Amino acid sequence: MTISVDFTQPLTNDYVKEETFFQSLPLLEIKNLSISSLGENKKEDIKLVKNINFTIKSGEMLGIVGESGSGKSLTACALVGLLPKSLKVTEGQIKLHGRELLNLSEKEMRRLRGNEIAYIFQNYQGSFTPFIKIGNQLIEALRSHRKISKLDAKKKVLIWLERVKLPANQVFTSYPYQLSGGQLQRAALAAALMFQPFLIVADEPTTALDVLTSENILDLLVELQKEYNCAVLLISHNLNHVLKRTDSIAVMYGGQIVERGLTNEIRKNPIHPYTKLLLQARPVLSRVVPEKLVVIPGEPGLVAEQGCAFALRCPKSFKKCSILPKMQSVGDSQWVACHAADLEADYTNASS
Amino acid sequence: MLQVEKVSKSYRSTSVLTEVTFQMEQGESLGLIGESGSGKSTMAKLIVGLEHLDGGQITLNGLDFQQLRGAELRKARRHVQVVFQDPWASLNPKLPVWKSIIEPLENYPDVVPSFLKGVRNDKRKMAEILLEKVGLDRDFLERYPHQLSGGQRQRVGIARGIGLQPNLLICDEPTSSLDVSIQAQILNLLKELKKEFNMSYLFISHDMASVQYMCDRIAVFKQGVLVDLFLSKDLFSDTRHPYTKMLVQATVER
Repeated sequence: MTISVDFTQPLTNDYVKEETFFQSLPLLEIKNLSISSLGENKKEDIKLVKNINFTIKSGEMLGIVGESGSGKSLTACALVGLLPKSLKVTEGQIKLHGRELLNLSEKEMRRLRGNEIAYIFQNYQGSFTPFIKIGNQLIEALRSHRKISKLDAKKKVLIWLERVKLPANQVFTSYPYQLSGGQLQRAALAAALMFQPFLIVADEPTTALDVLTSENILDLLVELQKEYNCAVLLISHNLNHVLKRTDSIAVMYGGQIVERGLTNEIRKNPIHPYTKLLLQARPVLSRVVPEKLVVIPGEPGLVAEQGCAFALRCPKSFKKCSILPKMQSVGDSQWVACHAADLEADYTNASS
Repeated sequence: MLQVEKVSKSYRSTSVLTEVTFQMEQGESLGLIGESGSGKSTMAKLIVGLEHLDGGQITLNGLDFQQLRGAELRKARRHVQVVFQDPWASLNPKLPVWKSIIEPLENYPDVVPSFLKGVRNDKRKMAEILLEKVGLDRDFLERYPHQLSGGQRQRVGIARGIGLQPNLLICDEPTSSLDVSIQAQILNLLKELKKEFNMSYLFISHDMASVQYMCDRIAVFKQGVLVDLFLSKDLFSDTRHPYTKMLVQATVER
């Protein structure tokens, strides 16, 4: 059976989103969020994410950077209610459109996931069941969230496969193994976007992909995000990707946000020593190649239990760093948690 | 030192490398760059002699590995060592670090690298010296791979790679499994070691910026064809192959 689809027709929203009402509020607001692992007796054991705060507006792309184990993915998992059983949100609020997500039942959360918040995983093979054709999987996903006939669902799926620049008809009838990594990730993007969610959480979406493929996928994500004015939380350990595309950045170390603000500000004027070192330590294409790269001393995962998490690796640390620094604002659109913030800000230390 | 002449290789009917030709001098580092499936790693396997050529010739110090058999091949192979992408997979989980490090040296009892003169019979001492070369202290000798961080494990992998003082060290994506904060440490280490031992590096990567930092020359592979070969300093030249320009464009900051 073939269906002719008119790709030129504009897509209409399935249901009216009350954009105007919400515009004054941030779309997503995370306040004082802490996540702990539960030890024996279900008692709080180790604090993995500590008192983090950030907001995302509609149409904004926020990047979270930090090394493995810094709590980026945990934060994202908490956001969609997918934390493993051994972990628990112990404090704080997660509000979407002013509605507290942490109090929602599993059933309400399931309705919200996919529909209002979509998730794109690093592991694109895991996004699809290996023995069902892509098209049928997408139709099933669509029909589990919306009342829509099979025929309409098929039309919609084909339109979205086209939107993510895939050969729609061919991909529709393909099994996942018949597609390349980039194609699968595009299909996953289609699956996320066809619900026109308010927020897309993209957790290392291109880490497993090639350089050029990654660039194309991220460009596509930005393009569609702008078009549908949805918010994106981009989690990546690739600073280049994040610097290139996001509007704002949060830098995490040891479960804390150490610096956040507008991407351009942070690129030009990083203040926290960890942010500075992260920016300097990566090899950057340039006409003049440095003899030696700047390194961050110590090993990842070396987190101070008291005070500033980065203190043990920080070349600038001093006595006061054993007390946890408060988040303070620097300028209009940058916040940093560092006792030496005033000093550090004086060096206008642009990356590369 | 290394001559690669019109090398071709295909698996079944799929051609992976097509008439690839390049040379390398002693002490030079050459970067191989390209997407997955472009033939970079196959090239490395052919140089080490892990795969057979379908056409062409590869010679290292004038010796053709494909023609050598048995003891001679073994003897010749010690001049090429490999540092792998995944340090987890390259170390035996059941051996303490020091045993892993000196394993290659035990396989070639006659080889005495310059920096191990006088201690060639003291296995622990040799391991200690090699560990020191990669910036780890003697406390690590007795540890097992699972007790190390990714960066430390990669350092052990490098210590193992340089033990026989090879002419050519092949680094296959040595930093792509590591955190950003550790990448710089490992790249700096590799650069220092290269200077110290006058080794040649074949540096395989898909990250143009690391390759530019590490290498004197860069070879760009696309679908098994060597499309561009140039001095690193000419990376931004207008005469670059369009594909190279695309890769540069993708990496450069806007």
